[in-house]
Amino acid sequence: MGITSSKQLLEMHKECKATFEKYPKKVIVCCGTGCIANGARKIVEAFQAALAERKIKDFSIEAVKETGCHGFCEQGPLVVIEPHGTFYTHVKPKDVEAIVEKSIAGGEVIEPLLYTNPVTGNKVERYQDVSFFTHQHRIALRNLGKIAAHDIRDYIAVGGYQGLAKVLTSMTPDQVIDLIADSGLRGRGGGGFPAGKKWRTCRNVESDVRYVICNGDEGDPGAFMDRSMMEGDPHSVLEGMMIAAFAVGAKNGYIYVREEYPLAVIHLQKAIQDCEKHGLLGDNILGTNFSFRIRINRGAGAFVCGESSALMRSVAGEVGEPRAKYIHSVIKGLWDKPTVLNNVETYANVPIIAMNGPEWFKSIGVKNNSGTKVFSLVGKVRNTGLIEVAMGTTLREIIYDIGGGMLDGRPFKAVQTGGPSGGCLPAPQLDLPVDFDSLTAVGSMMGSGGMIVMDDKTCMVDVARYFLHFLVSESCGKCVPCREGLYQLHELTERVCTGEATEADLEKMEKLSEVVITASLCGLGKSGPNPLMSTIKYFRDEYLTHIREKRCPAAVCKKLITYTVIEEKCTGCMACITACAYNAITGERKKPHFIHQEKCEKCGACVAVCKPDAILVE
Amino acid sequence: MKPVTLTINGKLVRATQGEYLLGVLRREKIDIPALCHHEAVEPYGGCRLCTIEVTKPEWDGWKDYVTSCLYPAADGLIIQTDSPQVIEIRRTILDLYLARCPEAKLVQDLAAKYGVMKTSYQTVPEPNDCILCSICTRICDTMGFKAISTVNRGHGKEVAPPLDQPPDACVGCLACALNCPTNYIKWKDVGGTREIWGKKFELIRCEQTGQPTITREFADYLIANRNINADYFKIKDSAHRTETSLGLGKIAQWTREEVK
Amino acid sequence: MKHDLSHLPGIFARHQQKPEALIMILQDIQKEYRYLPCEALQETAKALHVPLSKVFSVATFYNAFSLHPKGKNVVRICVGTACHIRGAALIQDQIENALSLKAGQTSADMQFSIEVVACVGACAMAPVVIVNEQYHGSVKPSGAKRLVKGVQ
Repeated sequence: MGITSSKQLLEMHKECKATFEKYPKKVIVCCGTGCIANGARKIVEAFQAALAERKIKDFSIEAVKETGCHGFCEQGPLVVIEPHGTFYTHVKPKDVEAIVEKSIAGGEVIEPLLYTNPVTGNKVERYQDVSFFTHQHRIALRNLGKIAAHDIRDYIAVGGYQGLAKVLTSMTPDQVIDLIADSGLRGRGGGGFPAGKKWRTCRNVESDVRYVICNGDEGDPGAFMDRSMMEGDPHSVLEGMMIAAFAVGAKNGYIYVREEYPLAVIHLQKAIQDCEKHGLLGDNILGTNFSFRIRINRGAGAFVCGESSALMRSVAGEVGEPRAKYIHSVIKGLWDKPTVLNNVETYANVPIIAMNGPEWFKSIGVKNNSGTKVFSLVGKVRNTGLIEVAMGTTLREIIYDIGGGMLDGRPFKAVQTGGPSGGCLPAPQLDLPVDFDSLTAVGSMMGSGGMIVMDDKTCMVDVARYFLHFLVSESCGKCVPCREGLYQLHELTERVCTGEATEADLEKMEKLSEVVITASLCGLGKSGPNPLMSTIKYFRDEYLTHIREKRCPAAVCKKLITYTVIEEKCTGCMACITACAYNAITGERKKPHFIHQEKCEKCGACVAVCKPDAILVE
Repeated sequence: MKPVTLTINGKLVRATQGEYLLGVLRREKIDIPALCHHEAVEPYGGCRLCTIEVTKPEWDGWKDYVTSCLYPAADGLIIQTDSPQVIEIRRTILDLYLARCPEAKLVQDLAAKYGVMKTSYQTVPEPNDCILCSICTRICDTMGFKAISTVNRGHGKEVAPPLDQPPDACVGCLACALNCPTNYIKWKDVGGTREIWGKKFELIRCEQTGQPTITREFADYLIANRNINADYFKIKDSAHRTETSLGLGKIAQWTREEVK
Repeated sequence: MKHDLSHLPGIFARHQQKPEALIMILQDIQKEYRYLPCEALQETAKALHVPLSKVFSVATFYNAFSLHPKGKNVVRICVGTACHIRGAALIQDQIENALSLKAGQTSADMQFSIEVVACVGACAMAPVVIVNEQYHGSVKPSGAKRLVKGVQ
């Protein structure tokens, strides 16, 4: 079954394409993790059962495709009927019968299942007209939602491995490096380091052994871009790694996948097996001298292993403690050999840049920031999900045009980018173009692409405390500034949240942060104080209110808020008394209830069950 | 072995390309604190006290703050070992150390040198004298026993024997305890028995004086692995015993007096 | 607790007893026994010719490993940023109350364990709770109790 030449690959491409296009009518069921959690597999089974029972013109059970994440997770489970592009949301297994009868067989549209534009209130029939998608420019995500994630034939049908074939048969390794360097591709994992420059440095080190590693650790909480790519289009990642390996002269590659992503591991493993079966991995790939093998290493629950030197130690079976990078890992990396480490999204871009050329890539985005970036747009925004936009798109466009604006119409307060290494940006920054350099200039950073939208019910001090808590639990503990410094910063921020801090403490936090940033051993420590520093910079007043007035304006910090029953609104239904686990509420039926502050733990159970909204939290 | 020229605190100094700067600085008799550094093992880069400021003419005034124990010498480097930022870094690190090890004399003395008499942060819930320099674990590895390691991560990191049980691999050589900068590792010799890490050892006795020498286990290891005749251990000779373990283990011993 | 260690040689063989496969071997052991029994760690050190101190160091460094047996039902609460913003802390309160357990603990009758995870990558469905490998999205504090009661 091995493909032993680029000519054979082209033949296979034609065959697979013919199969792919054999049935113009397709049912695409999104099987990203989000939709699976909401029952997508049952929907697939329902379609298969329904279609087994009847014959429909121009249709076949083979045309039911389980694809990777479309990105519109808020609206899942999602079903798309091609070629029309009918877009159904919140689909349930019981809807499948009707979809088969009316839409597939009858060509009709089922209104209640259509997406409603939250701004206009109109129903949208087609996938192509949904504003969430129309504003996007999908390059890294090009195949997600189109092809079956676990089927190499679909990938080949849409042109997969043509990039590899072009590179292997018509270019030298140095020419490949020039191409990537020319395109301006910058690392998509957060660092934004020019990929071509990295590859060139690796290639120039004299060594008989080199490695290519894909960083699939994606530790930033709130980010799931890489997950979707590994699950939904694993071959694009493999192809990118193969091209990199050819360019730098590596024979072995590793993909480090986060332990929390079991489906990604399964799909990548299948993809690797299929490549091996078809001779796309192993010796003499496509009949050339190029040999390459890829192995998967699973992470084991350590955010610090997203840092390149810690990741390499983990691959080697050690504890994930980073080392000083005065000698870069591209020179001395895995087992002290020259190693190229790039992010999933970076590799996903490589095959298509190889096919379309550097000028095409540079035509998208802005100066020094070519191409696109995938973001996970989450938090208090209406349309949460995965999006891909050209570099230079503004925050406003992303949050309002694509994201559909704020959830429940609440006012925008801040957007957090860059995960625990990044910063929070307030409303005046909404027109900032999103690219590596612009975000860094205002005290945040691109990071891996997590974009968390916050409203007025979010306390920025609590956000800083949350990130510091996270970093303290993820610190490897090797160096003092990070291990002790972040711990103390967390303690100090906690004190702000409990109303015990003074203004002198605020100054102490700022000074300590500077030392932690300068003196820490690795990126975790060096960027750890960023959320704290950015929230102090842009929301200093909120900190001062906590300190001076011992008040939390967003009504989040437990020690500074009270839960009170609004007597006029209370119907005396006793629901809260039943819900309260601390016996903090007393009252009789049909009489206003009372919350005893000394017992109240501010857990929110009463608010959750109060139908008349009679509990005030402030 | 290319020779390079550096500027250290304004003075031109020669070094070899690639050698770590801490060695160069100490050769120049510049006082740089380095709590996690030990001559017998690879540099660690954990305490960050040996941080210095480096720049190069082509960096347009941009400065980097690096640990001298791991930073390689290169031609044209301009180094400052006590600029205000460097002093602030050291001061803060020692302040942080005091919050963790308030009773450790070594930390107290070093902190006092930088003007920190008491920590300005919250003392941790369970302070002790372990500064997590990891010298003990690295020396144990170098000695070849690998009996102890750092466990957990982050703020809960500590040095412990595996499974918190008396370690099988430990031979009672005391290299860890004798090199611990704060004397945190406790050991006890009572009569013919030694106890460390919860494990008891039998000490060989000198056939002439009856004095205890080293543990049976350590002696067996040295006999088996370092080509020493078994008779060697039958006579107590503290100088020759020390020399053996030092020379063969290539450990520079800190005497108890120095540590005080 | 005594364990049937006969599964171990198979696990070691699967990874050709390579020392660099230590983490993956521990993951397979964790999957087999639902935690890392002491004897398994000792056998691993022997089979891979890796010091026990290193095996222990690795076993205690990574969150994925547990040195204590887990309960029959594992409730994992995602406390990633998106989930935090959408109320994960309140959900954690509710679940801890419902089971009379704190995160990181296992009930005395070994029926339940509660864990918090930094992020499971399902951020668009925040807040997320995973009960016995089953993902539940858009969980509300009022629904959190029901989620775990349903399993009891």
